[in-house]
Amino acid sequence: MSLLELENITASYGHAQALHGVSLSLPAGGAVGILGANGAGKTTTLRAISGMVKTTGRILFEGKDISGLSPDRVARLGIAHVPEGRGSLPQLSVRDNLLVGAYQRRDRKQIAEDIEYCLDLFPNLRERIKSNAAALSGGEQQMLAVARAVMAKPRVMLLDEASLGLAPSTSRRVYEAILRLRREAQLSMIVVEQNAVLAFSVVDHATVLETGKVALTGDKAELMGMDAVRRAYLGG
Amino acid sequence: MQYFIQVVVDGVATGAIYGALALAIVLVNRATGLINFAQGAMAVMSTFVAFGLIRAGVPLLLAAVVAIVFAFALGAFLERVVVRRFEGGDPDSAVVVTIGLLVLLGGISALFFGYEPQPFPSFFPLGTINIFGVFVSLRSVGTIVILLVAMVLLQVLFRSTKLGLAMRAVADNPRSSALSGLPVSRLLMVGWGLAAALGAIAGLLVAPQLFISPGMLDFALVYALAAAILGGLDSPVGAVVSAAFIGVVEGLAGAYIDFIGDDLKIAVPFAVMIFILVLRPQGLFGRKVVVRV
Amino acid sequence: MDKIFANRWLRLAALAVFAVLLIVAPLVSSRFINYQLSMIAVFAVALLGLNIVMGYTGQVSLGQSAFLGLGAYIAAYGVRNEWNLVLVLLLCAIIPAAVGMLVALAAARLRGLALAMITIALPIIGIPLARRFSEFTGGSQGTTVSFLGAPDWSGLANDQWQYYVVLTIAVVAFVLARNLVRGRVGRAFAIVKENESVALAMGVSPYRYKVLAFTISSLLGGVAGFMYLAIVQFTSPETMNFFTSINLVAAMVIGGSASIVGTILGAIYYVLVPVVAGQVNSSRTALISGAILLAVLFLLPRGLVSLPRRMSLLIGGTRRRGASPRDDQNSPDGASTADPGTPETPTAHEERQAR
Repeated sequence: MSLLELENITASYGHAQALHGVSLSLPAGGAVGILGANGAGKTTTLRAISGMVKTTGRILFEGKDISGLSPDRVARLGIAHVPEGRGSLPQLSVRDNLLVGAYQRRDRKQIAEDIEYCLDLFPNLRERIKSNAAALSGGEQQMLAVARAVMAKPRVMLLDEASLGLAPSTSRRVYEAILRLRREAQLSMIVVEQNAVLAFSVVDHATVLETGKVALTGDKAELMGMDAVRRAYLGG
Repeated sequence: MQYFIQVVVDGVATGAIYGALALAIVLVNRATGLINFAQGAMAVMSTFVAFGLIRAGVPLLLAAVVAIVFAFALGAFLERVVVRRFEGGDPDSAVVVTIGLLVLLGGISALFFGYEPQPFPSFFPLGTINIFGVFVSLRSVGTIVILLVAMVLLQVLFRSTKLGLAMRAVADNPRSSALSGLPVSRLLMVGWGLAAALGAIAGLLVAPQLFISPGMLDFALVYALAAAILGGLDSPVGAVVSAAFIGVVEGLAGAYIDFIGDDLKIAVPFAVMIFILVLRPQGLFGRKVVVRV
Repeated sequence: MDKIFANRWLRLAALAVFAVLLIVAPLVSSRFINYQLSMIAVFAVALLGLNIVMGYTGQVSLGQSAFLGLGAYIAAYGVRNEWNLVLVLLLCAIIPAAVGMLVALAAARLRGLALAMITIALPIIGIPLARRFSEFTGGSQGTTVSFLGAPDWSGLANDQWQYYVVLTIAVVAFVLARNLVRGRVGRAFAIVKENESVALAMGVSPYRYKVLAFTISSLLGGVAGFMYLAIVQFTSPETMNFFTSINLVAAMVIGGSASIVGTILGAIYYVLVPVVAGQVNSSRTALISGAILLAVLFLLPRGLVSLPRRMSLLIGGTRRRGASPRDDQNSPDGASTADPGTPETPTAHEERQAR
């Protein structure tokens, strides 16, 4: 059975419908990429899972329908969403940002260890531990956003355009850390990316969205072999 | 010199009352991003609860505690039931909602207690205390001490507790906070509740002086707004210091500048404020907003 | 509104009926009703000014009562010195406009609440000044005047004559304002309201247009002050009361922000709700007014002007239930309409830090 299952999801913003029946399956321990152009519905799909938009259809997490729950309830079930644009808490220090991530946990000792783990994962953050998130560079904010999600000890991480606006070397470092998380923390994840090369460095399956519908779905090798996908997303 | 110090201490005490209300306004603004014009009316209503209890024979201190608890519940209730619908929408509508609450709550207070100002017992005995050879009124000193304690407690809450961390997070970025599993809805209610409780303390402290009536804090609200904005709205310390500053400036201008006297003294802090804001738009203590794209 | 008034002839007919009603009403009504109608005209002009700066240009102004009071005092001073009334009216427009412009020149670089605070300071400073300079203002007791009586040839009672005078001023103000907001300046206001950076990029100086909006707003406030004195024949520092400003802001939003029709509805609301509430139960005026205000906001968050649209939505609601109406009424030329082509843009909620 899959850990997270989207069945025929539709979603709309006011009059504009953004998703027209999207289905998706994330196996436990797996990583699924969502590719597509601007406005194809990638971000909306993640928002649908987190309860940030009104949806129809079923969203099953560990077999239970979680559609219609508020974002904080979804998060407490173990789904951590790293939003587009990083969504850091700018006026809070890096340490406080991490502690907010661990808000629902009671295991103080383990929290301290996990903070250490995050700081190992992203050494840049260690130097900035006391500064406000607003003072961090874009790349550091992205790292902080990922680390804050990790602090919640989620089962599933939803990662939205983690490379957006970052220098290529920074993006690579972020994705290396994400790959490490997948291996070490047994995190299942859904990765939304414009940059398919980065996405494929982490995921094993991917779904291509076009105007709110699933256009293609397949495993990494299949998709990378297709001319259309190569031309559109892999720059060759 | 003796007179000067008395004027300053009285000014700080008056300022402390504005400061408490200003702090309440800052708390609400940080939590929900709006200016609550009903902050004063909520405080008056809570003070009336104490007033009613005292009239029914309840001891002063107990009545005050009940009033503060009532204020907390009132604030949380209003946020959830009335204000919530307008958060994140058109900011003008949200402000007007609080204007509606201001009018409505004043009306409810009047429904039970009428519009006539009525005497309210003081927490402090009349008289003065001798501090290093200067006589200052017990009431002023007591007011300052109580509000200082309240502010230190708030600071501890915000800086060193998990609840405080969560409230700061929600004030900073409610969407991201929700994605981290913070119960945003409940935290907003707590924020409004705390603000209302603080306002109630201000109301209880000022009622003996002004006499209690539904419009008791109308004017203090204007001072509190001035202090909150002058302080930079996101800065609790700034709000309190600005409030004290306003109280002292007004007192000194009234006492020492003959042309100004008692009738014009109100205008002085506001005129000063205009100059400060024009020179420093972010307020005395506000951070410049740095936007990273 | 546009659906009902889509037909040009229908719209003209409605306007004609409205005009006839306005002209005939005072001839058949009691003095009390004429007084209320006149007050609606007075506050419609004050609200029009507020709507230009707040509704159309997006700048919070909590000091409109100061200009109302200033206009009333200038009018009273002119009348007591028996100046020409046209001159007095001009002064009531020019002096508040100049004061407003001066304040705006200093304050218009500020945003949001800092600006709001400076406007709050205006009535707060104005009231003690009015008390102090009693040789001009009559001090705390205020000043009573008697002017603008009906001329003999008209055969009208004073209240009817005064009504026609303020109505004429109001109509002129509304026609001018309507042309202003529908034209080039109105588009510039809308862009400044929407996004100042975009305005700059388009060659529209936010500073200049904010100063302009404030100046026009103060001008209309001063004119409303003249009209106020013409109807009430009395003014005191209380005219400037800060809470008058607050209630005007409430009335503006209740009527309909950035809407001419909404401004009139707001004035009707502002004048009539206390009267109605007072007649229901005179000791519960505040209670009833506050409850009505909140009720209107809950049912019509976009103001009374959105009532027809809201009703048509409710009636036709079976077809498109759940669709949220995003009626950007009156945004000129779609300058501020949301772009439905990019559904992935985050909603504006993140930006609600009030700054």
